[in-house]
Amino acid sequence: MSEHPLSSESAPRPSVLARFKSLLDMVLRTICVSLFALLVVLVTWQVFTRLVLSNPSIWSEELARYVFIWLSLIGISIATGEKADVAIDYFVQKAPLAAQRVLEIVAYLATLTFALVVMVWGGYLNAAQTMHQLNPVLPISAGVLYLAVPISGVLLTFYLIYHLIRTLSPGYTGLEHIAAEDGVEL
Amino acid sequence: MNDVALVSAVMLGGMVVLMLIGAPISISIGLPSAISMILVLGLENGATTSAQRMFTGVNSFALLAIPFFVLAGGIMNNGGIATRLINLAKVLVGRTPAPLAQTNVLANMLFGSVSGSAIAAAAAVGTTMAPMQAREGYDKGFTAATNVASAPSGMVIPPSNLLIVYALASGGTSVGALFMAGYIPGILWGVACMAVVWFYARKHPELKAPVRSSLGELGRTFVQALPSLTLVVVVIGGIIGGFFTATEASAIAVVYALLLGFLYRAIKIKDLPHILYNAARTSSVVIFLIGVSSIMSFVMSFTKIPQLIAETLLGFTDSKFVVLLIMMVVLLIIGIPLDATPAILIFTPIFLPIAMQYGIDPVHFGIMMTFNLCIAVISPPSAPVLFVGAQVAGVKVESVIGRLMPFFLALVAVLLLVTFVPALSLWLPGLFGLL
Amino acid sequence: SSGTDAGASETDGSSEEAVSTTTFKVAFNQQPNHPQYIALDAMGDRIKERTNGAYDLEVFPNETLGAQKETIELVQSGTIEFAMVAAPLLENYNPDFVVFNLPFTFDSQDHQRETTNDPEIVSELYASLDDQNLRVLGSFHGGIRSMYNSIKPIVTPADMEGMKIRVIESETNIEMMELMGATGTPMGMGDVYTAIQSGVIDGAENNELTYANVKHTEVAPYYSYTKHLMLPDYLISNPSVMDGLPEDVQEIFAEEIAAAVEEEGALWKTEIEVSKEKAIADGAKFNEVDEEAFAEAIAPLTQSKLTNDFIKDIHAKVRAAAK
Ligand code: NA
Ligand code: NA
Repeated sequence: MSEHPLSSESAPRPSVLARFKSLLDMVLRTICVSLFALLVVLVTWQVFTRLVLSNPSIWSEELARYVFIWLSLIGISIATGEKADVAIDYFVQKAPLAAQRVLEIVAYLATLTFALVVMVWGGYLNAAQTMHQLNPVLPISAGVLYLAVPISGVLLTFYLIYHLIRTLSPGYTGLEHIAAEDGVEL
Repeated sequence: MNDVALVSAVMLGGMVVLMLIGAPISISIGLPSAISMILVLGLENGATTSAQRMFTGVNSFALLAIPFFVLAGGIMNNGGIATRLINLAKVLVGRTPAPLAQTNVLANMLFGSVSGSAIAAAAAVGTTMAPMQAREGYDKGFTAATNVASAPSGMVIPPSNLLIVYALASGGTSVGALFMAGYIPGILWGVACMAVVWFYARKHPELKAPVRSSLGELGRTFVQALPSLTLVVVVIGGIIGGFFTATEASAIAVVYALLLGFLYRAIKIKDLPHILYNAARTSSVVIFLIGVSSIMSFVMSFTKIPQLIAETLLGFTDSKFVVLLIMMVVLLIIGIPLDATPAILIFTPIFLPIAMQYGIDPVHFGIMMTFNLCIAVISPPSAPVLFVGAQVAGVKVESVIGRLMPFFLALVAVLLLVTFVPALSLWLPGLFGLL
Repeated sequence: SSGTDAGASETDGSSEEAVSTTTFKVAFNQQPNHPQYIALDAMGDRIKERTNGAYDLEVFPNETLGAQKETIELVQSGTIEFAMVAAPLLENYNPDFVVFNLPFTFDSQDHQRETTNDPEIVSELYASLDDQNLRVLGSFHGGIRSMYNSIKPIVTPADMEGMKIRVIESETNIEMMELMGATGTPMGMGDVYTAIQSGVIDGAENNELTYANVKHTEVAPYYSYTKHLMLPDYLISNPSVMDGLPEDVQEIFAEEIAAAVEEEGALWKTEIEVSKEKAIADGAKFNEVDEEAFAEAIAPLTQSKLTNDFIKDIHAKVRAAAK
């Protein structure tokens, strides 16, 4: 398991950025694990209330959907942080080191553009527009729920900038990829 | 019409370039889609609507089944379920030629019928089977190839996350109908692999080491595997019987697998955060991809590109047979660089409206597409199951590819059957009144 | 591309010959054979003719532009111009919209059409969303919902004792079901068939059109005319769309929307007969119920939801117009 993707080359004293990253990693992981556990409980509860109690819960499905979206959008930022997002790196790995660095930078910039324009800006506008729209069963406005997109965008932006800096650093050794058994099945 | 040309160029060009330079698949789909949106709607509206589509595209209770089935797979992978299914497979096909290879195929099918992950199957079953086969003198490349080729059968045999992705991408095809439709083609997938192993065994008589087992042993292994197999009854029976939705069934699968894991003393409470975290990370990547793909499918509806392709195609041929053949070949080729999920997300909004114009049933189309693209997960360069399979068998990917060729041919033959004989997919769901 | 049939129509001289056609997108969630789709599509044709090809409508059926809830947001942001949405969704924007979503508010389809399109009654309510970039342009008929189940014909609330009935996910609907004597079970429409088949629930409630279309006739053959809900569907738009049109074109739109509401109502009546025949052929049995007993049972709900004078007043006006 590649728990510490950076450990191989970590300097004696990790930078402020690296220390912030590991703190953020820890916080986000804890959130993910808690949300996922909550999700299992919510849906099991829903089945229980309908089949056993004969008194179906009306809010569990709605709440479960939003927990799921928040979980997924936070999850994608850590996946990006750990470089566990899926890409076709076959051609890039065949390229010489200098070209690999350029291609990696372009790919990061493309992702950054998406994160900033669509997720942070578009997501913020979308949340602002729906801030007064009520939810039929939950006491939260649609806009608050929609905030998952811009928040995920900000987290993604941090991880992307972190990777960009590492790609630009003199110690660049080429494209990293995570171990096969940690690979993501699409 | 200008919009259509512009959007087509941006989508096609953007996707190909971004994928080739190694950008994440999700961004390769999402960025050109968002740019198209902005070209059609203006900067502010385009960005807002893209963000809205990303969110609402995954705001579906049906999709929750994906993280749950991934989690259930992760628990089963650690929970001693694979071992018991392998033991059962061994006594069932132990008398055939090349018994351990046949065991591997059957174990993957059994594992697949309780989980929806080909990677989990290839890892869990392969890790146990590869050393056993090495001791008995099986060729390592062949061992890995057998495991790799048969692992995706579990993505066609329900439960299957790919079928859930298709259900969503197709605009709400019944998951229950798709699940029932997957059984026969999924079993045929396994049968095709068994046939290849059988031919191989004829040329390798030294592998004829039949594992004889008594009736008592058969009974004992069956009883041991029974709790694991009961999961099929609970999950599929629960969905078909209408007791719960596919999503609820997937949550029940998690709870059930967890209880088994505790019962078998294979899982401890302190392992749970790690298992949960890995499943969350894996499914997030898939869910994010689905979210950005819904930007693409919105652009497609907005600009009516699929209708345009359909009209062009209809002017070219009115034969259902020809259209199916064209789609089959396109999907086979597209599956080489792409994985199954992105391919389903990209091509369902384009191909399904066309297929429906030719009178093809969306359930049949979904099974044909899924079967086709499951071949993609073992075709390099983008072939996660192949990489995992090679790794657990301790061989280089290159030495597996050659051994995979006969399997590819057999699977393509079955694909032709699945494509042109709709009854293989539609008979079972029809029997249960799900169509 | 076909704006050349202009000139021939001399209805209004306003927009002369159109250089290019402005096509407004309309989001719709059902199939193209639905009365609302047919009426909207015909409305587009008439508008195009009357504006000499300057304006046209394109209706996107089958949720191709998203689910109803999402298309409201697309109208707000200006991504699309129109959407047809179920009335309860607007309660999320202004809770006062609940007033037309209460049981036994309308006595007939005609009563509903006339009151929910009467400026005297609705103009203030329909314009209340202007500051949220939404406006209701017209209220269409969305069918009359009655109870159907797999066990027996329902005649009085007592017959529903112990039954589990699928409802739309909302507090009001679950409360309503309780008052009628049953248990309300929220569930996605797609799961209802198998749930009734296996006995997880005993029935559901909907109009005859949907009942026959989704083949619930096969598993729940007893359709009892409780006629408890008659929810309108609203054609909504962004106020800036209408306000941005020349005044004579605004007039044309208003007239044609009114015509479409009438046409849809007429189409619905014939469509219901066809659906009912189809359902009977599939084995469904229709029966009348003790309407007064149900009205009495649900009355407390209606009263508890009329929480302010504004909607009490609207409700009173609607009831006064009955018969
Ligand atoms: Na499976
Ligand atoms: Na591939």
